[in-house]
Amino acid sequence: MKALLVCEYREGKLLEGSYELISFADRLGVEKAIVLVGSENAVPKADARVYLANAAAWAEYNPEIHRKIVLEAVQRESPDYIVFLHSSYGWDLAPRVAAALKAAQISEVASLQDGKFEVSCCNGKMRRTVTSATERTVVTIQAGAFSFSGEPRGVPRVEMIAPPVAASAVEFIGYEAAEKKDVDLAKAAVIVSAGRGVGKKENVAAIDALAKALQGELGASRPVVDAGWVPHSHQVGTTGQTVSPKLYVACGISGAIQHLAGMKKSEFIVAINKDKDAPIGEVADVLVVADVNQFVPALTAKLRK
Amino acid sequence: MKILVCIKQVPDMESKFKVNAKGVWYEETDLAFRMNEYDEYAVEQAVQLKEQLGGGPEVTVLSIGPDRVLEPVKKALAMGCDRAVHLKDDDSSGKDPWQIASAIAGFSRDKNFDLIFTGMQSQDRGSAQVGAIVSELLGCACVTTVVHFAFNDGIVTAKRELEGGLKCIVRFRLPAVVTCQLGLNKPRYPTLPNIMKAKKKEIVSQAAAGFAATEALSGTGEFYVPAKKGRGIILEGDVNEMADRLIGILKEKTTVVR
Amino acid sequence: MEATREIYWNVGHGVVLPMYGFFFLAALVFLYGFYRRLPAYRRGKALNRLDRLRERIPLLLKNLFLQVRVLRVFGPGSLHAFFFWGFGLLFIGTLLIMAQVDFTQPLFGLVFLKGAFYELFSLVLDVSGLVAIVMLGGLLVRRFFVRPKGLETIRDDYLSHTLLFAILVTGFVVEGLRMAATEISANPGLARFSPIGLLVGRLFAGMSDAGLFLAHRVLWWVHFFLAMGFIAAIPYTKLRHIFLTSTNYLFSDLAPKGTISTINIEDDSSGSFGAAAVSELTWKDIFDADACTTCKRCQERCPAFATGKPLSPMKVVKQIGEVAFTKPQAGLIETVGQDALWACTTCRACQEICPANIEHVTKILEMRRNLSLMEGAFPGDEVRIASENIEVNGNPFGLAFAARGDWAEGLAVNVMERNSEADILYFPGCYASFDKRNREIARSFVQICNAAGVKAGILGKEEKCCGEPVRKLGNEYLYQTTAAANIEAIKRYGVRKIVTTCPHCFNTLRGDYRDLGLTIDVEHAATFIKGLIDQGRLRLKPGSFEFTYHDSCYLGRYRDIIDEPRAVLKAAGGRLREMEKSKYESFCCGGGGGRVLAEEKLGTRINEERTRMAQATGAPLLVSNCPFCLTMFEDGIKTGGSEGKLKALDLTEIIAARIGGRD
Repeated sequence: MKALLVCEYREGKLLEGSYELISFADRLGVEKAIVLVGSENAVPKADARVYLANAAAWAEYNPEIHRKIVLEAVQRESPDYIVFLHSSYGWDLAPRVAAALKAAQISEVASLQDGKFEVSCCNGKMRRTVTSATERTVVTIQAGAFSFSGEPRGVPRVEMIAPPVAASAVEFIGYEAAEKKDVDLAKAAVIVSAGRGVGKKENVAAIDALAKALQGELGASRPVVDAGWVPHSHQVGTTGQTVSPKLYVACGISGAIQHLAGMKKSEFIVAINKDKDAPIGEVADVLVVADVNQFVPALTAKLRK
Repeated sequence: MKILVCIKQVPDMESKFKVNAKGVWYEETDLAFRMNEYDEYAVEQAVQLKEQLGGGPEVTVLSIGPDRVLEPVKKALAMGCDRAVHLKDDDSSGKDPWQIASAIAGFSRDKNFDLIFTGMQSQDRGSAQVGAIVSELLGCACVTTVVHFAFNDGIVTAKRELEGGLKCIVRFRLPAVVTCQLGLNKPRYPTLPNIMKAKKKEIVSQAAAGFAATEALSGTGEFYVPAKKGRGIILEGDVNEMADRLIGILKEKTTVVR
Repeated sequence: MEATREIYWNVGHGVVLPMYGFFFLAALVFLYGFYRRLPAYRRGKALNRLDRLRERIPLLLKNLFLQVRVLRVFGPGSLHAFFFWGFGLLFIGTLLIMAQVDFTQPLFGLVFLKGAFYELFSLVLDVSGLVAIVMLGGLLVRRFFVRPKGLETIRDDYLSHTLLFAILVTGFVVEGLRMAATEISANPGLARFSPIGLLVGRLFAGMSDAGLFLAHRVLWWVHFFLAMGFIAAIPYTKLRHIFLTSTNYLFSDLAPKGTISTINIEDDSSGSFGAAAVSELTWKDIFDADACTTCKRCQERCPAFATGKPLSPMKVVKQIGEVAFTKPQAGLIETVGQDALWACTTCRACQEICPANIEHVTKILEMRRNLSLMEGAFPGDEVRIASENIEVNGNPFGLAFAARGDWAEGLAVNVMERNSEADILYFPGCYASFDKRNREIARSFVQICNAAGVKAGILGKEEKCCGEPVRKLGNEYLYQTTAAANIEAIKRYGVRKIVTTCPHCFNTLRGDYRDLGLTIDVEHAATFIKGLIDQGRLRLKPGSFEFTYHDSCYLGRYRDIIDEPRAVLKAAGGRLREMEKSKYESFCCGGGGGRVLAEEKLGTRINEERTRMAQATGAPLLVSNCPFCLTMFEDGIKTGGSEGKLKALDLTEIIAARIGGRD
């Protein structure tokens, strides 16, 4: 069995996530080949054949050209799986390749269950294993689900793919950098929120430190915002922002219904609260019964190690 | 100009999901349904474009599924779509993205739509495939995950959302399929006169079977509630021990701590 | 000699003709003044407020002559009432003189102002005049020297004070001059019956007769022209309230308090819903604006105004008047401002206190209806989300509708769908069904029913939000949709009686749903529990505790249920410490009018203000009867710094904790 891994390249660099594709192929236990629309100095380090097409010729985003390149690699390599990251690049390109091949596509695989592809659905509330009825299968994998550990190593065998001649309906103009916005909780992967249980404004810093240690954003419950301890842009709840991060840590938040409604769609919820019976416990995956002001600094210190 | 908006009805994500008798999808009893959130942005964008062009374009809203899908269809009409097409299929949840896309493409093939708007994915299935497959089948341009859309003299300038707040600016001509992402616009709340007007708008009902591919390319093996990830784990005791245990759990159950 | 006096003394009967001439002139100016106002009233929509005259006329008489509504605020109310009575008697006195001298005497030779009656007449008028002057003085001091906050003074106030004062003073001077010339020395026995005139007359003791005669004649005319000026000025100044406020009692809304017109949503013939222009309000709304005396009683009691929000009910009423009279094409909503409209909690404190019988809340509601139904507008995104949640899951939190009855698991309650055998249908509403804190209310109520042997049933997942919050935010469509579903479910089970623990559900099911076809008896838990205690079905084990009680707007002001909850709490052993603002003057928790769904972004927090008032009583318990109030107070206690000093509880929780007395 063989997988063709479609790596990602942006602004002159190979995207880190590309190694997750390698990790996925290894866990699936298949041979791997790689295709990259990028440049020679950005070829992933792996013992595999790498089909390289020069991105400079047609700009970094051009689905029609990229599709042709991937199909060319498919033709040369004849893989069983064509694997993308489930990213803005992957979900854009994968269905086009799948449709062209009339192949099944399995989107956003989160794990392998006895060799079966498990995907998350219904906002993370349910799981589904997806089967393919076609000879080749296009797969997109959930970002972060097949994390790559260790140093990438290996010697790629680069094989060039010549630029296909094609007119393109979509013209790439350029990138627009992220707005210098204070915070966008709706898109944060990790949110660590401070509630009234932190006691006073000075203690918010410790919560913020935990957020930073988890590479997340600081959130807050309404009373904390109302008290002026944290700006309103950080407020989670029906009156603030409704969020659904991968990890939500509620620190000293008892769980007023308005708050719960704003965060309970989070994939994994950790609550730190003195009160074992606080309503936040009803939605928490883990409830840590402790004083936030003691527990949070201890946790942050351990995470930083 | 002719615009098509494809919408899906999905359960409210707050619902309690139960596995159905076949074991491949959810049981519908006790579920509250609504319009797929991403499709609401699609409807809004279509209506905004119609308004921008002085009401010229005709906006058709399309939905596939059993009769219950008429609810969001009516909402789309109240938001400003002109007419509706219901591709009736009592087993639409058993269809894979390829079949759904082929039904849309099959219906659209001879209709000459200039623009097809739809959500970037559905909230229940979350495959994020249908829009792009439709464009492949129709042989037109496709831009996914759009958070900004501007139409000017036949040319669309759009912004796609990439990772980490980065956006990608693209320009394209019609016909095209556009899939819509959160942040594109703020869907309007239908006014009462528009709700009343919508009741008089035409809804054409046709069997989806006439358009859709008969064979699915992918299927569901099993559908289930995720194994208790630890929901309800309660940690008590020493602060440092709890911190260690929590880190262990986070490493195991989430993708954010490595 | 029989007591009487010569009317037209000194001025002579020759004045009759010019006098009536001037009077008719004044009357014409007066009539024209009101006539000129009619087109503005006509800009409003039709509304019948002259049906059921048998009820209306007593309302008019009671409020006009007894000044009932005016007297609700004791201090300034008394000044006004006594002035009214004094001035009114003087007016009647003048009419009697006119009747005799110009009608009964010349036509029938009948003279009735004589003898003992004349003596009484003189005395009463003199005292009335004195009372009027003193009261006017009081009002003057209040307005110009110790002016309370919010009392605005305009040109009309200077004019009316001057006119009234001058009329009263010249009246006494004319009387004094006449008495100095004819009565003080000639008939001192009679002069005693005009004590003020006597005092004034003595001032002129040294004057020559010619001087007295001249001064009298001049001042007589001055007094006369002042009086005519007064009549003519009425429709052109705030004085018009004399007629308009009185008439407004006649135009009272006779429907039960809080009744809102049910829009026929199928009828889009007008192309518009709610009010964005004065033409979309009723004539009564415009008339109300004209009847307003800007006494600022409403503004003083408005919880939104008190906490620094841009709403003053008085200002809204005046703005409607301004638009109707001066720029009828102007947009009402732009004039009043969206922030002001959304700030209203519909607590009805304004309407309850208004001495002019103005209906503030419906005006705000009509404008909100326009915003909601025509613009799809909300006070904030959070409210839009809550409304969409109600559409989809029947509750503002967006929680699964199927979980609505989960609170009752393990309790002895029938879910109607499975077993519809029940004495009452308990309608807990969204908060008591879903919110963890408020679920205690539902559980407590069920315990109470169990203890009293009342079989309670619930609709469970078939129940939806009653629709009250969204209706008060103007979303009539969503309200009617959710109401229709509830009514259908209720009717399905042949329910005979419904009990609610939420005053909002209570008012909606009992009042608003009538228009949609539900006529079943609906009761709030407070009176229901009182009934159970009175009938001896519920026995309590009283424990001694101190509490303060918050009258929710929708139980107190809207339904006059004031004493029953207090009686119930006393039966449980409670000692009540009233807040300064209680009963009909209760201060809203901030959650009414759909505000419970909205964030309070402007001004300070209403709930903190109210919990502060509760804390000021020194009682450790704040008892309310409403899940919205409880939610607001739990918040207010935390953010307002009353934690540890004040605890918020619902009445049902107090009672449930004291079940089980065996005498």
